[in-house]
Amino acid sequence: MLRKKVLPVNDYTTVGKSVMRIDGLQKTTGETKYAGDIALPGALCLKVLRSKIAHGLVKNIEICEAMKVPGVVQIFTHADVPGINGYGIIVKDQPMLTDKVRFKGDAVALIAAEDEVSAEKAMALIKVTYEELPPLYDVLDAMKEDAPAIHEKGNILGIYKIKKGDAESALQCADVVIARKYTTQRIEHLYIETEAGVAYMDNDMLVIKAGTQNPHYDRRDVARVLGLPLNKVRIMQTPTGGGFGGKLDISVQCFLGLAALKLGRPVRMVYDRETSFIASGKRHPFYIDFTTAADKQGKLVAVKVRIIGDTGAYGSYGPATLNRGAVHATGPYEVPNVDIESYCVYTNNPFSGAMRGFGTPQMAFATESQMDLVANAVGISPVDIRRRNILKEGSLTATQQQLNSSIGIGKTIEAAWEKALQVMPGLGDENK
Amino acid sequence: MAEFHLETTVNGKSIVKNIDPSMRLLDFLRNVLHLTGTKEGCGEGECGACSVILDGELVDSCLVMAPQAHGKEVITIEGLAESGEIAPYQQAFMEVGAVQCGYCTPGMILAARVLLNNNPKPSKKEITRAISGNMCRCTGYTKIIQGVQTAASLKEAKDQQNVDIEFENLAEMDASRHAAKEGVTRE
Ligand code: FES
Ligand code: FES
Repeated sequence: MLRKKVLPVNDYTTVGKSVMRIDGLQKTTGETKYAGDIALPGALCLKVLRSKIAHGLVKNIEICEAMKVPGVVQIFTHADVPGINGYGIIVKDQPMLTDKVRFKGDAVALIAAEDEVSAEKAMALIKVTYEELPPLYDVLDAMKEDAPAIHEKGNILGIYKIKKGDAESALQCADVVIARKYTTQRIEHLYIETEAGVAYMDNDMLVIKAGTQNPHYDRRDVARVLGLPLNKVRIMQTPTGGGFGGKLDISVQCFLGLAALKLGRPVRMVYDRETSFIASGKRHPFYIDFTTAADKQGKLVAVKVRIIGDTGAYGSYGPATLNRGAVHATGPYEVPNVDIESYCVYTNNPFSGAMRGFGTPQMAFATESQMDLVANAVGISPVDIRRRNILKEGSLTATQQQLNSSIGIGKTIEAAWEKALQVMPGLGDENK
Repeated sequence: MAEFHLETTVNGKSIVKNIDPSMRLLDFLRNVLHLTGTKEGCGEGECGACSVILDGELVDSCLVMAPQAHGKEVITIEGLAESGEIAPYQQAFMEVGAVQCGYCTPGMILAARVLLNNNPKPSKKEITRAISGNMCRCTGYTKIIQGVQTAASLKEAKDQQNVDIEFENLAEMDASRHAAKEGVTRE
């Protein structure tokens, strides 16, 4: 009978050992070809004209003068999008080239030229006439009943609720109740490599090579926007110079695809840093209203949390971010009664999407601040309040998930506290 | 437009080209010489991804015009590899995990090389200062600093080895001279 040989831990070839990156050598010699390093002979240079207004309808795009610039091959607008003009990871709400502008930076026209200089000259000569609409930069204004609708279905993209026990009555009779408001800021990922890619036709197959974190999703969206069957689109992820969630979204892919498909020529596109800042997704700013209730010993009895996330002009990973924000609002602590609601809301700001942690870093700031305030009110140390409420084996999370293994947070706190005492002697006395 | 007659040395090779005088050194290296190891991150002197060595000094090639390299010597990441000198840096950066996405790596390694050339045993503070013009968004710098430290010791060991080899050669020469005197031939 064949038996699987079970190796003792120290015999594993990789587990428990430091392993060198498979592509480390090429990266240290400069050999690695990122998207912007790929040389495609005869490739056209692509540039996007982006809106300078935040909200409005595109009434007319005048390209005659721009087309006369020597070197300009073609200029595309929303009218040239062959498929369904909307992409997005969760909701397909972002047009590739738009006829309704929803933020300063929305793509209005795509220029294909022999070189960068002529593409830029042409860009300056395109005349766009807008009917401006009042812009909504504030997420609370956007939620008002009479606010202008940024998208057809209104400005609230999603609501996520977690209810357990009876938070209201627990809040009524708790010994300590702390209520505070928190806000977190918009953050740019700032990967060192800006978005870039190349595309070409391989017979009737559209091939796109791009710096992306999401080749499969890209493929689906490119096929949708260009009206192609999935098996006619091939996306290859080039070595990606940082992403942190920001390269999950479509950036250059659809532009490259459209131009390569329509012109039958290889194309190339590299964002400069300014474009990368303007056009890419950000970390969601959160507006958090947090109420925490505890008994005299500092044991949590209830939390009531309201979260509003500014997803900007488009959804991207917004619904997932707000959903996770809600799920993790209680932090690594056990709370018997919870009442959490989170809202994913459109504004005319740059769009927000995934960024390292998906809504939990924003919440951690609020949750942990609340813990410190409760500790203070009860008269125990910040470490003790955490010891008393930490998730352990068998604990139930806010969504009633029972945790049966792999709960390291208690050990982490003790290790961190030990280290803190080492590097800051005397800390223990203050917090007895 | 008037062209600039550029004569420069890049990675030990002499280059003669007529170029647009408004061209950045970065574009000259990437687009004219196809040395794409030098990266563009910001285009305005903030990130150091475009770092190259110009006459022994680390410069942001996005802020240097190509004509400024006239009569000078440029070393890019590719040149480091070719000269066979890169091993300690490569080895060190790979071993400690200082390379993640790798986009900042060429610039970081060149910064490390300029530092170690001038100061073979830098303190942590000196390393931090030397790489302060180079941004990395992935590592958090701890590993990069370790990488430079490791490179320093690998380089020292290698230099030591070279010295030892020289000594061995000397000893060998001595021995053969000795043998010749005594009329014995060595194999
Ligand atoms: S590209 Fe030159 S410093 Fe950033
Ligand atoms: S390794 Fe990614 S920027 Fe440094």
